[in-house]
Amino acid sequence: MPLFVLFYRLMVRPLFREPVRTLLTILAIALGVAVVLAIDLAGSAATGSFRSSMETLAGESDLEVVTSGGVPENVVGTLATLPYSIRVSPRIEDYGVIVDTKKALPLIGLDLVAEGSAYAQSETQKTAESQTQDDSEHVFEHLGDADSIWVGSSVGYKTGRRVELLINDQVRKYTVRGVYPDSHGNESAIVMDLAAAQNALCRYGRVDRILLKVPGTPGLEDWQQRLRTVLPAGVEVRPQGTGTNENRRMLAAFGWNLRLLSYISLVVGAFLIYNTISVSVVRRRPEIGIVRALGASRGVILSAFVGEAVCFGLAGALIGLPLGRLMATGAVRLMAATVESLYVSSRPGTIELNAESVLLALVIGVGVAVASSYSPAREGSQVSPVEAMARGRREYDVRVHKARDLWLALALGLAAAVASRAPAVAGKPFLGYLAAILLVAAAALAMPAFVDALTSVSSKLLGKLFGVEAMLASRSLAASLRRTSVLVGALSTAIAMMTAVGIMVGSFRQTVVLWMSDQLPADLYLRPAGSAAADRHPTLSSGLAEELARLPGVAAVERLRAYEISYQDMPATLASADLNVLRSYHHSDFFSGRPKAQVLAELRDSNAVIVSEPFTYKHHLKTGDSITLSLGETQASFLITDVYYDYSSERGSTAPSNLAIYVSPGAQLDVVRAEIEKATADRRVLLFSNRDLRSEAIRIFDRTFAITYALEAVAVLVAVMGIAGALLALVIDRRRELGLLHFLGAATGQVRKLIRVEAGLLGLLANFAGLALGFALSLILIYVINKQSFGWTIRFHWPVEVLLGALTVVYGATVLAGLYPAKVAVHLNPLEVVHEE
Amino acid sequence: MSILSLQDVSKDYLTDGQPVHALNGLSLNVERGEFVALVGRSGCGKSTLLNLAGAMDFPTSGKVLVDGVSTSSLKDGGLTRLRRERVGFIFQSFQLLHTLTVFENVELPLLLAGKRYPREVAQERLAWVNLEGLGDRYPHQLSGGQMQRVAIARALIHSPSILLADEPTGNLDTTTGNVILELLRRLTREQNTAIVVATHSLEAASLANTLVRLRDGKIEEITRC
Amino acid sequence: MKSRLTCITAAVLLLQPLAPQYRTALPGYHYQFPRDHFNHPDFQTEWWYYTGNLKWAHDRRFGFELTFFRQAVSRDPAKVATWQVQDLYLAHLALSDLDGGKFYHAERTNRSGPGIAAVSESLGRIWNGNWQIQWHGSDQELKAVDERFQLHLTLHSEKPPVIHGENGASQKAEGAGRASHYVSLTRLATSGVIDLGDKKIEVRGTSWMDHEFFTDQLEPEQTGWDWLSLQLEDYTELMLFHIRRKDGSIDPHAAGTYVDRDGKTTHLRSSDFKLQPTGEKWTSPTTGAEYPIHWKIVIPKLGIELEAKTPLESQELTGKTKLAPNYWEGAIVLTGHRNARSLGGAGYLEMTGYDRPVRLAP
Repeated sequence: MPLFVLFYRLMVRPLFREPVRTLLTILAIALGVAVVLAIDLAGSAATGSFRSSMETLAGESDLEVVTSGGVPENVVGTLATLPYSIRVSPRIEDYGVIVDTKKALPLIGLDLVAEGSAYAQSETQKTAESQTQDDSEHVFEHLGDADSIWVGSSVGYKTGRRVELLINDQVRKYTVRGVYPDSHGNESAIVMDLAAAQNALCRYGRVDRILLKVPGTPGLEDWQQRLRTVLPAGVEVRPQGTGTNENRRMLAAFGWNLRLLSYISLVVGAFLIYNTISVSVVRRRPEIGIVRALGASRGVILSAFVGEAVCFGLAGALIGLPLGRLMATGAVRLMAATVESLYVSSRPGTIELNAESVLLALVIGVGVAVASSYSPAREGSQVSPVEAMARGRREYDVRVHKARDLWLALALGLAAAVASRAPAVAGKPFLGYLAAILLVAAAALAMPAFVDALTSVSSKLLGKLFGVEAMLASRSLAASLRRTSVLVGALSTAIAMMTAVGIMVGSFRQTVVLWMSDQLPADLYLRPAGSAAADRHPTLSSGLAEELARLPGVAAVERLRAYEISYQDMPATLASADLNVLRSYHHSDFFSGRPKAQVLAELRDSNAVIVSEPFTYKHHLKTGDSITLSLGETQASFLITDVYYDYSSERGSTAPSNLAIYVSPGAQLDVVRAEIEKATADRRVLLFSNRDLRSEAIRIFDRTFAITYALEAVAVLVAVMGIAGALLALVIDRRRELGLLHFLGAATGQVRKLIRVEAGLLGLLANFAGLALGFALSLILIYVINKQSFGWTIRFHWPVEVLLGALTVVYGATVLAGLYPAKVAVHLNPLEVVHEE
Repeated sequence: MSILSLQDVSKDYLTDGQPVHALNGLSLNVERGEFVALVGRSGCGKSTLLNLAGAMDFPTSGKVLVDGVSTSSLKDGGLTRLRRERVGFIFQSFQLLHTLTVFENVELPLLLAGKRYPREVAQERLAWVNLEGLGDRYPHQLSGGQMQRVAIARALIHSPSILLADEPTGNLDTTTGNVILELLRRLTREQNTAIVVATHSLEAASLANTLVRLRDGKIEEITRC
Repeated sequence: MKSRLTCITAAVLLLQPLAPQYRTALPGYHYQFPRDHFNHPDFQTEWWYYTGNLKWAHDRRFGFELTFFRQAVSRDPAKVATWQVQDLYLAHLALSDLDGGKFYHAERTNRSGPGIAAVSESLGRIWNGNWQIQWHGSDQELKAVDERFQLHLTLHSEKPPVIHGENGASQKAEGAGRASHYVSLTRLATSGVIDLGDKKIEVRGTSWMDHEFFTDQLEPEQTGWDWLSLQLEDYTELMLFHIRRKDGSIDPHAAGTYVDRDGKTTHLRSSDFKLQPTGEKWTSPTTGAEYPIHWKIVIPKLGIELEAKTPLESQELTGKTKLAPNYWEGAIVLTGHRNARSLGGAGYLEMTGYDRPVRLAP
């Protein structure tokens, strides 16, 4: 107990004397914790939810029967007549858009004759017994009508409401015949009878999925075995929701990447805690001496400083919790967008702040605080009583082992290089991340040497260029080398991550732009107005292509059709295209570098395919290998004739189901466009010019990566706050020197300028170091981590404008961070600090 | 005209809400080239007087004129200019910047004043204090006496009209202290610079033209030799 | 005449388009077997009805019911896609463990769809999911799967098909077409297995098949009916029904058929027989309906006096969804005498419209 009193008096109370600095440190930790928490919460909300979107109304099924392109519907009959007590639920699954609200909802076709009684019942339960018959009649009355739909209650429509739905490229009128309660994991959906759904989607002869509920004995695997014998070849029976799990696996990789990004802020926060505790140790050397002389053990000193850090960590975590919850809301929106454009159709779920997340926040906050404070705390504990009490060592002056650290940095750098060469472990680029971490550590160790070298060079130059204040600033930074190194380390880590991700995303973007100019050679593109996503390919009415091809000014119309298929339990997109058009108009890049005419000629052989590069990477394939795909009921083997670059999605898809229209030479694009618009007036299609399409693609691209920018912005914010806090400490520790300058004829403005230059200099150093480290990290990101986790090959590209902009913002932010400390410096009373009594 | 003139100067501080009268209706004139020693117990107002004289602080009542200009009438810029051109400070604990070399420390006031080529002047001032050749050293490589000499060179770099020294020998042994005091007297005489030294040392007092004895913020006695 | 109110109700529920697009049952219909054992899509409603009394070697009695209903919904030539509902297929399955005192029943509704339910002469099959009748020559194989039990029976007809009514039409109400074409196999020697999950029981016994097809046969005043199939120990069979009217009276169109040992039939008019409840009632805990489960049958011209009782009172079929009406259909035991000689037998009794009036007209 007395120790706690002592701890409060000596460690906690002083924190209140510098409220701004204390607050900044806590806020930095809070932000770090918040970001990690937000990504954690948002991750489960954004990815966890997507199950419900298509699994809506799946009931308690055990198995599902699927095949690429839809299960032939006679399989339903086969299954229904098996001598087993199995519930068979065929489904047609797609999406529809409510025209009024633009809201996309799962469109689910169910056998309402067989299963509809459940809906009838849900309606009638609340009504009196006498009315039940009438009510159930009411529900079944319009069952056979093609315009009948049932909707989840959260859509907010009442029975009888007329609704226009955009399905693929057509708008149809429907009437809500009933409302089902969409709780208990059943999400809102538009439910139709199978017949109506087939009609709406023009998808006859097949159903998308057949869900099965089998008896408890024997086990699921025995049932699968048993059912396989009656299913046609290529039709697969698997545990229900397997498709969900496949996508889950891909989402997990995405979530994993985001999570790591979110830890950047924490790393930056760790630097700052380290700095704060270091300052605390240095300032308290005399106190440490006295307390030690009065009988405190080293352990007590150590735990006092670690305890101080724990206070910061705890306070940070407590603020970080609500902050994280708040940020999660935004993160979910961003992540859901990413998830949707990159992977699957999804609808964000609710964010749940549970005991686990609270624990996570506390562990992270306190853990980081303890880990990063240990080294300075230990240093404090090793101060001998005599040394600490001796006067005259007031300066912040801890020995820095520049040379030793530099060697260590070199060793770590080499280790990073080795780790970056290693292959992926279990599909995840663990060693790639290790390489990145090693690089950051190496950079941290090399920082003192870098700061020393740069400041000694710069001080003279700066003195000449920006006057005595710059010289003084640079000298003071060099003098408090360790503190400066830590600050530069923190900020440069944030900048490096920003730069690295910036370069990666920029390169990616540029690569996509290049790819699009190859992949999108047509002048106009047409696709259904229904919402598309990676696993959603609304289709156009058949015959439209021929119709358009006959229009004047249209040279050719290329049809592209995408299917979702499954290859080795991973989702993939099978695309088919008109080879004649392909040959004459495309100029794709093939991996082998062979002329496309040759590749396409081979492709005309019916059993040849070209596959996308991510596909080969994911499945360890190369040109010349053969793959076996389940297409409908048939198993087909294909020879891979070549590999093409693809960046649309790692599934390996070329394009959504759409038309590419080539305008005849000499024909006016506007005229042709108007013609096409006229011809398609009765259909809901979107017509894009080549340029529209590209900018739309880039817009989606940017939306996809918005969250990474947001994460970086937070990391930089944390770093900048850290800079402000650290400068404040620097000002307070150097108040004697600053006061002296007044005596020596310094104007107020000069003192202010001195602090600002110092902030600017820190920013500049951090920018330099961050840019260099960021470049190295971007190489790891592009060539190791991305390649291993997504299978993309990205051509390196400096996104000069973006980087320049970002660095300028960061630099501006650091200078801004110097404003408050500078103000504090100016208001110091020189008389109090210079004269000794 | 006196280089420094204090006219009926009072200075009150608020310490813990209680007014403390640091100076109490004090009047003093210092002429060019004059060596003034301020003596008295700790807390008698020596430091306050020096702060007022250096325009680092302002009287509660009365006037402080430096070279005929009232410090209270000047704004921040004017005060800075005044310090840059007229006043030099010397402190008990030297107050050198450890991050700067001897040259850089000496040059600092000129640099702050925006002078472009201060090195020659600095070299000359170091010669005055007999520290030629030590210009590239850092303060921690010097002895106490050498450090105070650097501080003197710095205080004289811009040829001030008045030098204000607060216990310049307080951190030095007697012999070194005497050497420093002798140096101060010689240089101020040569440069016709007035100097006001707050001191406890009798040697300093014995070197002065004028000995001012302070007590409770008032001049108890002025002795002119 | 059999209940099959379920399908009639379904017809109501689906708001049948005008009946006139279907044929009605009129006298003079020319029967042709096996063709007429199967589907008659020209008629709106059709059913195949199997009931039977079975016995395990160890003297444990079972009753079963398996019914296939077909209700035409649409004959719109534009609506012919696989999943379009042209006919609604309903089915009921029940097992009465008469000595075990248990009654199991299940129902299902399907469309024909891609072979989910249908009646096919070429395949010789009538099915709804995995409940099915498969013809093999003149024998029928009955298979039905429920999560609690399975039936697998072989039915061999010992007598030719019985055509009820007069001149091929069984009149149900006043007016042309208020009738059905009604065929029965009245003595089906039955053997097979009842699988109760934990044990398989070898059973033997006698079953009865009804097959009726018609369009719009009843009138609104008719609220329910009582129907019996009797298989007597002297190798003769009886079918009797009467229809109750709203005012509590019995519709004059009550009728029956007597099948002698050789399969020769005698049509019975309402004046030929008396079918009366004795007053003993069983009240359903589910629907609250009071069913007269004890009947007295007198047919003076055949010298027959019988009492029908059930060994198991709770043989009521209640629809989970309230879509189908609730009715009592169960095995009965007959005691009595023909002329001076005592005569026993077994059969099935169906009683409808006791919880609420059955809606009979569109």
